[in-house]
Amino acid sequence: MRISHQWLKELIDFKLTPEKLADEVSMLGLEIASYEDLSRKYEKFVVGEVLERAKHPNADRLTLCKVNVGKETLDIVCGAPNVDAGQKVAIALVGATIPHNQHDPDGRPFVLERAKIRGVESNGMICSAHELGIGSDADGILVLDGKAKVGTPLAKHLGQTDIVYEIEITANRGDWQSHFGVAREIGALLGKKMRKPAAKLRENKVTAASFAKVKILDTKKCPRYSARVLQNVKVAQSPQWLQDRLTAVGLRPINNVVDVTNYVMYETGQPLHAFDYEKIAGHAIVVRTAKDGEKFVTLDGKERTLRSDILMICDAEKPVGIGGVMGGANSEVSDSTTSILLESAYFDPASVRKTSKYLGLSTDASRRFERSTDIEGTVYALDRVSQLLQEMAGAEVLKGSIDIYPKKQKKTTINLRASRVNQILGTNLTKTQVKSYLERLELVCRAAATDALKVSVPSYRADLLEEIDLVEEVARMYGYNNIETKTRASIQFSTQTVVKSLQDELRSYCVGAGFNEILANSLLDAKTTEIAGEGAVKILNPVSVDMAYLRTSLIPGALHIVRRNQFQGQKQLRLFEIGDVFALANREKPNSFESYSQEERVLLLLAGQHSPVSYGVSTRPFDYLDVKGEVQALLSKFSLDKWSFISYDTHKALSEHNVTIEINGTYAGYFGKVKSSVSEKFEIEGDVYIAELNTAVLHAQRVNSTKYRQLPKFPKVVRDLAFIVDSRLPQEKVEKAIRESGGTMLETLRLFDVYTGQPLGSGQKSLAYALEFQPSDRTLTVKEIDGIITSIVAHVQRTCGATLRASS
Amino acid sequence: MLEKIAHIKQEFSSDLAQANDAQALENLRIKYLARKGSIAALFYELKSVSPEEKPALGKALNELRTFAQSAYDDAKLKLEQSSDSTELPFDVTLPGRPVSVGTKHPITQTIEEIVRIFKGMGFTVATGPEVETDYYNFGALNFPPDHPARDMQDTFFIAKDILLRTHTSPVQIRYMEQHKPPVRVVIPGRVYRNEAVSARSHVLFHQVEGLYVDEGVTMGDLKGTLVAFVKQFYGSSVKYKFRPTFFPFTEPSADMYISCFICNGKGCSMCKYAGWLEILGSGMVHPHLYENVGYDTEKYTGFAFGMGVERIAILRHGIDDIRLFTENDLRFLKQF
Ligand SMILES: [Zn+2]
Repeated sequence: MRISHQWLKELIDFKLTPEKLADEVSMLGLEIASYEDLSRKYEKFVVGEVLERAKHPNADRLTLCKVNVGKETLDIVCGAPNVDAGQKVAIALVGATIPHNQHDPDGRPFVLERAKIRGVESNGMICSAHELGIGSDADGILVLDGKAKVGTPLAKHLGQTDIVYEIEITANRGDWQSHFGVAREIGALLGKKMRKPAAKLRENKVTAASFAKVKILDTKKCPRYSARVLQNVKVAQSPQWLQDRLTAVGLRPINNVVDVTNYVMYETGQPLHAFDYEKIAGHAIVVRTAKDGEKFVTLDGKERTLRSDILMICDAEKPVGIGGVMGGANSEVSDSTTSILLESAYFDPASVRKTSKYLGLSTDASRRFERSTDIEGTVYALDRVSQLLQEMAGAEVLKGSIDIYPKKQKKTTINLRASRVNQILGTNLTKTQVKSYLERLELVCRAAATDALKVSVPSYRADLLEEIDLVEEVARMYGYNNIETKTRASIQFSTQTVVKSLQDELRSYCVGAGFNEILANSLLDAKTTEIAGEGAVKILNPVSVDMAYLRTSLIPGALHIVRRNQFQGQKQLRLFEIGDVFALANREKPNSFESYSQEERVLLLLAGQHSPVSYGVSTRPFDYLDVKGEVQALLSKFSLDKWSFISYDTHKALSEHNVTIEINGTYAGYFGKVKSSVSEKFEIEGDVYIAELNTAVLHAQRVNSTKYRQLPKFPKVVRDLAFIVDSRLPQEKVEKAIRESGGTMLETLRLFDVYTGQPLGSGQKSLAYALEFQPSDRTLTVKEIDGIITSIVAHVQRTCGATLRASS
Repeated sequence: MLEKIAHIKQEFSSDLAQANDAQALENLRIKYLARKGSIAALFYELKSVSPEEKPALGKALNELRTFAQSAYDDAKLKLEQSSDSTELPFDVTLPGRPVSVGTKHPITQTIEEIVRIFKGMGFTVATGPEVETDYYNFGALNFPPDHPARDMQDTFFIAKDILLRTHTSPVQIRYMEQHKPPVRVVIPGRVYRNEAVSARSHVLFHQVEGLYVDEGVTMGDLKGTLVAFVKQFYGSSVKYKFRPTFFPFTEPSADMYISCFICNGKGCSMCKYAGWLEILGSGMVHPHLYENVGYDTEKYTGFAFGMGVERIAILRHGIDDIRLFTENDLRFLKQF
């Protein structure tokens, strides 16, 4: 919102420079984001006098003018028909930025250069009101008052010397949306009181009540409705000072009636509306809610469809305005209007906000009502408008205001204890000090109990409701930066504060294993979500179709990232992510929070080349055994050896050759290869291998304290065994048979060769294992080892249909 | 005998001149210098010469042996040096074999650094769900229904009163419901806002929230703790200030600013030419929150704070587009 410096000056005395004011007011919480010196807009513009007007030698429609600009006389080519010698005019000097280009369809500004126009040099420009951005007249130049002084900066002559502050308002401070509000805050800063303009007006003998009636049917949505009737209003352009004020705060002047209501709104914060009295059927206002589906055309010419909770301002027959949001086209003030009915009401903030949201219509009025206006200020605002229209539009004001206010709002009084202030702020303020801070804000304080004050809150401060609100006011006035900084950061050891985080350890582990961490978007499009399976949680109001579902797996998001990186030429991708996945677990009850499951997972992903391509490296694509190895390593690190792989292929939407991971018999996730049909959909080249584990299971099943095992004191014995088996037999069976028969001394068992081909028969393969025996209490004899080997071979032959190929 | 010595010397010299490779040189060594070589044979002969001749001959023979040995050694050394460059020269400038090094995402790194500092001050880490209820995200945090404060956080809805959390603050309520004071937690997490995606804003980002409730915790402690944090994070010379603001769940509420470390306070585009950067929001926990979790509002006071992780990372690393964090281009990730 824009606030005028000159306007503020009428309400409060202050000598602060704009910069200092912006700084100090911002430190009270009323943020002045920026300020603008309007006179800058008319830099290099001056008042000039046309000395001579001659015909342009080469163009009939152009004239050649000699213009005195004070220090010198300039030759200027002009195209306007109304230019004449003796006129005082607005001159743009070379280098000036013309605010509005009449020849540009969008009216964009341009910088004036010295130019030859049809062969004659022109050293400036005589401007129209349109070009200056101060009016709509584009047909001729702006002729200034004859008393204008030649050479004066144009800004000074036009009264465009204001400074405008752009303020940003917090959601709780509706009262700041007015010059009154900002002036009061400056008053609090400087310890001064705002001067509220007296609304002096001469009323007619005839009472307004005999000319109009007001009835409120919904007093909850509209607790107060005040109105006045004005007659013999001469609708016309507003005087220049008023137009300047409105322009400065960013409003477009329309006519004196509309302009004055806007002016008073920006002054007091009370939105007002002027109806054409003659267009109000029955000269009666009825405040009621709309009918469902009812249509209504607002001032902006748009038809709106209403709902039964929307508050309408109606006459005896029809709606004439949406309460607190916008008036209707059917009762708008026009040039032929002579009598007006002025509305100044208080509408329930929540109701206005609902309506404004529902209609997608946010106005100067709705923005004020939804942050609460001053319920006691409606009549003052009416009087102020009437006064100004009496002064500038000759309006006759009928006696009295029609003020329907069935249940007068109780004045807020709050008990505030100085001890509470100090308890929250850590200060040592006395009751007297607290009182002096609050009084700067025009809060009236009376002594209550020993420690307490009874604080009476002005009606425009609707945000002050309870003690803590006043503590904040004291803090603001005391100054946040004056509160003493304390550090009591002592660690309490009564509870365990340093908890080992599995997430942190997992992350460190993955980084150590050479994986790059990704953080994928957890919002996905419908297509991707569909690929990943069912039960995805849908966003009711997505920002785009690309982000309409919550991920059910970490895989699809990672596949998008694989594609992006492949597209950038990345050959080796070792990625991991730790993040949450979501599902609607119970579709019967989508409105129950418990129906939604959220689970943290860790994803490992391998794609492309196993090693970076470089001299001295023989690389190969990642394969299945790589991802299996990564999973084994991770599980060994976090769950020691209590995990197992269940290798029947479970059906997964995204991947194949899936192996289920169990830890202590609990499902913990799986690994596999992304189906090539899926890779194709993601436009990925080559194979992608993935593992997705549930971190909660890892956490629950992990071994937290590691027990030390004594290092062996006796030498280990190594033997190799090779078996010929049916080529379809999973090696796991042979491994299992060796372990079963190897006894407790068989420590490690490693498959080191798989061979098919000559001299083996077709349908046969050879599996070669290295076995390491570690005795704990003695050195093994050859005889002992041979005995163990013999029983292993016998067992493998019996259970796996194997024949011994070699033993060494 | 002397003649023989002279002859062998001459013969050795000419053989040596022709010994251009290791094999020839080895043959030379065997022929002259080995145990059964010709010089050794002369020494054997020396045993049978007369005592008068012996000293002179012995001297000459020793000279020959010394000469031959050192000439051979020189030649061998030369050959070894030259053979290095002719056979397969060792090139120390060949590239080292690349090693795949893992990286943490810059957002993770930033979160870890923030959390590490608060852990050092006795804070514990807590987390909570991303799919939340209206109650935890708004109601319990003192956002009245149909209040403009809700506009501060445009929300994604899942169902009636179920939404994606717009901030990590709901975890404050969840944590206080489960724990009696003293409570001292930091809460990192992912949050969602229904906003258009651009270089400056994203629908998804991360926050770190903090909460400290106990008897006797004041706004002075809020300031002290956060000042300690910014000094740890941005360096001890950082300047700071607190400015009043509004959050429904704290009162008094304060935005914390630090002197812009990009321009040293002179003004730049990152600080909008103000010389100050807003880095976190904070405030004294609103008593309504204590009522909602069953704490004694007269006994306990405390403060809460929250900061946007992306913003902190963007400022720290001079990143110009927030979308880079979710794009996960390795060329980006490997820079951190
Ligand atoms: Zn800066």
